[in-house]
Amino acid sequence: MALLEVENVTAGYRAGPDILKGVSIKIEQGKTYCIIGPNGAGKSTLLRAICGLLHPRDGNVIYRGEMLNKLRTDQILMRGISFVPQDRSLFPDMTVRENLRMGGYIIRDRTELKERVEDAFQMFPILKERSSQRAKTLSGGEQQMLAIGRALVLRPEIIMLDEPSLGLAPMVTNFIFENIKKLKQAGMTIIIVEQNARKGLESSDWGFVLDLGTTRFEGPAGTILNDPRIQELYLGRAQVNRQEPSP
Amino acid sequence: MIQNLQILILGIALGGVYALMASGLTLVFGVMRIVNIAHASLMIAAAYITFWAFRLYGVDPILSIVITIPVMFLVGVGIYKLFFSRIAGTQRSGELTVLLTFALALVIEGVLGFFFSNVFRSTNPAYSTQAILFDPLYIPKGQFYATLLSLGLIGGLWTFLQFSRMGYAIRASMQNISAAQVVGVNVERISMISFGIGIALAGASGSVMSFLFSFFPGKHWEWIAILLALIVLGGMGSLIGALVGALLLAVASAFVSFHFGPTWSPITFFLALFLILLFRPQGLLGKKMEV
Repeated sequence: MALLEVENVTAGYRAGPDILKGVSIKIEQGKTYCIIGPNGAGKSTLLRAICGLLHPRDGNVIYRGEMLNKLRTDQILMRGISFVPQDRSLFPDMTVRENLRMGGYIIRDRTELKERVEDAFQMFPILKERSSQRAKTLSGGEQQMLAIGRALVLRPEIIMLDEPSLGLAPMVTNFIFENIKKLKQAGMTIIIVEQNARKGLESSDWGFVLDLGTTRFEGPAGTILNDPRIQELYLGRAQVNRQEPSP
Repeated sequence: MIQNLQILILGIALGGVYALMASGLTLVFGVMRIVNIAHASLMIAAAYITFWAFRLYGVDPILSIVITIPVMFLVGVGIYKLFFSRIAGTQRSGELTVLLTFALALVIEGVLGFFFSNVFRSTNPAYSTQAILFDPLYIPKGQFYATLLSLGLIGGLWTFLQFSRMGYAIRASMQNISAAQVVGVNVERISMISFGIGIALAGASGSVMSFLFSFFPGKHWEWIAILLALIVLGGMGSLIGALVGALLLAVASAFVSFHFGPTWSPITFFLALFLILLFRPQGLLGKKMEV
C-alpha cells in the first residue's frame, strides 16, 4: 500500500475556480518524487491540499490509511508531513533559533525541542553560526536552508519542498539539492515541486507531470527526463511564451 | 527650567496611560490587520463598568481591572467569533473590518447612551485629587498610579509575547500569518485570543481612564482619533512603537498645552499624524507594508 495517496482531488482557493481538477498521485515510502509542469498547473496547490492549508473540494488525501481531507495543518504535521512553501515562509523578525523553535511549535516538550533544534544546526552548520541573527538578514540560500531545517525539526516522514531552488544561484541550488540527497539517504520520503525540471528530476526516483490541474504523465524520473515528447512540451511551451509579440 | 521639567513629568505620567490604551489597538492590528475603530468605545464601556462598581460597591477603580480585564476579554472573544471569524482571510477583509468596527463603535455608543445617558461621568477615588510632592515638583497621584499600572501591564504583555508558547504563536502570526499556519499554529484560535487580549487591554484602559478623564458614551471618537495617531506614529502593529509614540505625543501635547493653551493640545496628535504619514508612513518602529 502506498504511504500517501491523493485520489481524484479537486481543489481551489476560496470562491475561485478549481485549480486541481481530479489529481491522483501515489507516494511510496522512502522514494523521492518530483512534480513538474507549467505555471498554473496546480503544483503548489497540490502540496497545499496535502498538508491541510487548503481543503479538497472533492476526492481524498489518504495517509497510512487515514483520510486527511478535513484535518488542520497542525494535525497533519503531527502525523508526519511537513511542507516548505515557495516563499520560504520564515518569520523575518525572529532569530534563526527562534524560527527553528517555531518549526517545532507543536512539540510541547521543551527539552525535546531543544535537541531537535540542535539536530537542525548539525545538518546546516551555517545556521548555527547565524543562530542569533534575524531571519531577514540571511542570504537567499541560508533562508532556504533555514526553511528546510525548520521543517525537519518535526522529523517528518514526508517532506514536501515547493521550488527549493527559486531565486538561488546555481551553486547554492546545488548545495540545496545535495542536502535533499542526504535526506533521501536517511530514508525520508520527499516530494519536490521544481521549475528547474531537469535538476528536480535528476535527484528523484519518480516524476509527475501536472498540467491544467490534472496529472498528464508519470513515470521513472529518468524516463521522463529523456522523453522527447515531454522535453518538447516543456521547451516548446517556453519558446512559445518567449515568442509572443509585445504589443 | 523647573516649569519645563514639571511639564515633562506630567507628560510622561499621561504617556504611560496612552500607551496602555494604544497597546490593545496595535496588537489587534498586528495580528489580524484589523483597524479596530471600536477600541475606544469598548474602553468607555469598561469605564462604565468601573464607574458603577465604584459608585454602587465602592470598588477601587484600579482594583476593578480584575473585573474589567476578564469581562472585556470575553467580550472581545465574543465579538471576534460573531463578526470577524467569518470575514478573516477573505479578499476584502481590510475594507470590511474598518466598516464593521466603525458600525460596532456606533452601536456600542448607542447602547451605552441608552443605558447610562449622556451625562459626564468620572470616578473620584481619594488619590484622583492628591499629588505626590517633592518640592518644587509634583506628580498627581492618580496619574502616577495609572502610569505605573499601565507600564506594568504593558511589561506583562511584552513578557508574555516574548517568552510564552502562545506569545511566540502570536508574534509569528504578526510577522507572517501563512508561515504560522505552515508550522501548525491554529491561526484562527490565535486571532481570537489576540482580539480578546486587545479588548481586555481596552478594559484595563477604561478602568484607568475613569479617574483621570471624564467620559460619556460619545467621548470615544476623541480617543480613537488620538490612539490612531499614536500607533501610526509608533508603527502599526508594534508594541514598543505604541509605547514610544504614546510617550512622545503625550509629552509634546503637554508642552503645546502649556505654551499655546489647552485648546491647541489635540492638534499635536493630528499634526504628528499628518507629518508621519507624509515622511515615514510605516511609523517610527513599524515595518514597510508588503503588498
